[in-house]
Amino acid sequence: MRTEPASFNRLTRRDASTELVSILTQAKLVRVNRATQEIEPWLATSWTRSADGLRYTMKLRPNVAFSDGQPFTADDVVFSFAAAYDERSASVLSDSLQVNGKKLTVAAVDPLTVIVTFPAPFGPGVRILDNLPIFPKHKLQSALDAGTLAKAWTLETPPAELAGLGPFVLSDYVPGQRLVFIKNPHYFMKDAAGASLPYLDRITAQIIPDQNAEMLALASGQIDLTSDAMRPEDYAPLRRAKNAGRLQLLDLGVGYDADSLWFNLKPNAFAADPRASWIQRDELRRAISMAVDRKHFADTVFLGAGAPVFGPETPANREWFSADVPQTPYDPAGAKALIESIAPGQTVRFTLLTQKGRSSLERGSAVIRDELQKIGVIVDVVPLDGNALIQRFVSGAAYDAIYFRAAATDTDPALTPDFWFSFGSAHMWDIAEPMPATPWEGQIDALMAKQIASADLAERKRLFAEVQKIFAEHQPAIYFAAPRVFVAASTRVTNLVPALIRPHLLWAPDRIAVAAGAPRATH
Amino acid sequence: MLAYLARRFLFALFLVFAVSSASLLLVRMAPGDYATESLGITARAATMEQTRRLYGLDRSFAQQYGHWLARAAHFDFGRSMAYDRPVADLIPERAANTAILAVTALFAATALGIPLGIITGSRRTGLLPAVIRTVSITLLSMPPLLTSLFLVFFAARTGWLPLGGMGGGAADVTGGALVDLVRHLIVPAAALAMPLAAMFERLQSQAMAETIGQPFVLAATARGVPRLRVVWRGALKAALRPVTSIYGLVVGTLLSGSFAVEMITSWPGLGRLMLDALRARDVYLVAGCAAAGSVFLAAGTLLSDAALAFVDPRAAE
Repeated sequence: MRTEPASFNRLTRRDASTELVSILTQAKLVRVNRATQEIEPWLATSWTRSADGLRYTMKLRPNVAFSDGQPFTADDVVFSFAAAYDERSASVLSDSLQVNGKKLTVAAVDPLTVIVTFPAPFGPGVRILDNLPIFPKHKLQSALDAGTLAKAWTLETPPAELAGLGPFVLSDYVPGQRLVFIKNPHYFMKDAAGASLPYLDRITAQIIPDQNAEMLALASGQIDLTSDAMRPEDYAPLRRAKNAGRLQLLDLGVGYDADSLWFNLKPNAFAADPRASWIQRDELRRAISMAVDRKHFADTVFLGAGAPVFGPETPANREWFSADVPQTPYDPAGAKALIESIAPGQTVRFTLLTQKGRSSLERGSAVIRDELQKIGVIVDVVPLDGNALIQRFVSGAAYDAIYFRAAATDTDPALTPDFWFSFGSAHMWDIAEPMPATPWEGQIDALMAKQIASADLAERKRLFAEVQKIFAEHQPAIYFAAPRVFVAASTRVTNLVPALIRPHLLWAPDRIAVAAGAPRATH
Repeated sequence: MLAYLARRFLFALFLVFAVSSASLLLVRMAPGDYATESLGITARAATMEQTRRLYGLDRSFAQQYGHWLARAAHFDFGRSMAYDRPVADLIPERAANTAILAVTALFAATALGIPLGIITGSRRTGLLPAVIRTVSITLLSMPPLLTSLFLVFFAARTGWLPLGGMGGGAADVTGGALVDLVRHLIVPAAALAMPLAAMFERLQSQAMAETIGQPFVLAATARGVPRLRVVWRGALKAALRPVTSIYGLVVGTLLSGSFAVEMITSWPGLGRLMLDALRARDVYLVAGCAAAGSVFLAAGTLLSDAALAFVDPRAAE
């Protein structure tokens, strides 16, 4: 891992390392299989839905114990929801466990049964429960009562005081260096042959802050896996290590995340600006979309390991990607004519902010600048530190356009409502609108509300295809290409089930094994 | 002499106070804060505000600074937001790691640089001085960042040395924890020591060349004192002053500024902590790291001044 976790308390932190610790040491009621995107029973073995679609009765797995030996019951589930919704602890999980901005209610019927009630019909159903690890009530109830949950399970907490239901337990944490996880003897899952899981006795998570050093360590066999995917520039050296038989290199195909460019579409953002007549026009965005050769973009930005995309859903999202969405043709002459129609005789010039230090974003912004220069549009690219860029965006400060890539958190659009709804915090081009600023945003809101409420998967897909068509027509964010995702692991690692969503290899840590008789890596 | 050292000590205290206060102010003024860094681009405004309240980031700079100053007077430097630990616990832990690295590098650089400088300063011609000079100039022109990248690459290709960290992770290390630590030290310490040894060599060489031409050296040689004795005993003592005068400063710089090497070689030291703190806009940790760095720098300067005052009492006047 590249950074150490910010905490051992997943309730309060959402960084990738804290999430990884949670994946290794905790379990959820249901699990979204990252490879198939299907929902799998986990701590809950089965569930039934009420006729109105609001209430789910969930049966819990019997004879399950936390890593400290204490039994797991329905009370732990109720406690975990209370902890996630506790406002005093400012839990980062709270937003992802709400439907239409309202909380779910949970009640324990008996030690092995809970009833989860949704505030409104919710198409994805129990999929939302994949967002909540189950915490031990016997360890954290006093902190919740005292309002100090945010200060519980910090990095100062001795590992022996942590308890979870996951396949591993933290046995040692050396600040700045490593975390050592050992097999949880109470872990509840068995493999198909009935053998206890996990297969591994120990995982050492080495903290290597520099990505170049991390890749060298992987290529030289000093580590077995990395927690993140490779960068396009790492492909060639790792390919050599693969050819030498030291590594397995896995091409997972086109990823879920694509880079996008969006303009500031907040009403009146350019009221006093001479560019007001054209900078927020649909035609400008369409012209930009037509002016960029996406094949060239993918080849240059992702060094040949990318594919053109035309909207926020990439072909990787097989369930929700709609092939009927119109694709903008590469047409520089048409783009130039469009620009001339909205800004006759004017110099079309804008500033494009992007994140400094992310090589694909820096290359992408350079390609956009060069392509637009060909149709007479001047782009001033300004790379900013990540934090400064986010602050500029979320504070509502003035900006012209941003080029960025936000990581996908779920493939089901109902679980990323903040992007699609006009009131959402991830509605990049105009965040948290008090009411839809344009008729087409109102249309998307209405379609998404129906899509989220429907329990009929075919109907949900039809509605979402319509949403994607409206999006493609207005292109509030312009998408050019998505990178292919490559992951690598040493050849001694077996049973890997790679997934396009992060963490690509460690999402199912209980099944990972090492080949019998294979030499140990140094770490 | 005591009055001089007291003056320097008071200046060092002021330096620590000014540097930590300025770093607190600069991090507050920089765009973004810990809430934006930790929650990311898609966080809801209410969640963002809640997080800011939790960490006291909703207060004005004057309030935050006053609060920090009052606690710092009692050696409580606040709590790191990114690590959720007291800054006063984090800093000594990482400073000790940096000290191990810096002292090793300094020892290696001194043991190599000074004798090589004497050789090149006392022998102007010949193959050996020419080779040493060429290597020194090459190393001097390479920043530690490049040297460490090269060494990490070398370690990866050969598999002779671990690429990073401080060791202690593998249970079956032959030779015990100390051997493991030494093996992990080689790459980062060499990355720091090589340019430093080159600098010492160049300084010592120049000083030695000047000293060799002094009348007392010529007189000793004329009296028939063996050349080796003249160079290694007589001239060396006089030629050590330039290196002595910068030694303390080098110690301070090493302790406070080895972050590039620490990043590349995953050495969990103060420099890496500072960089992480800056990225996360962890105001109290940045102030703590800056204070620790300035303590090292001030201590190094103080050491340097004291050494110079000892060698040349005129410096204290």
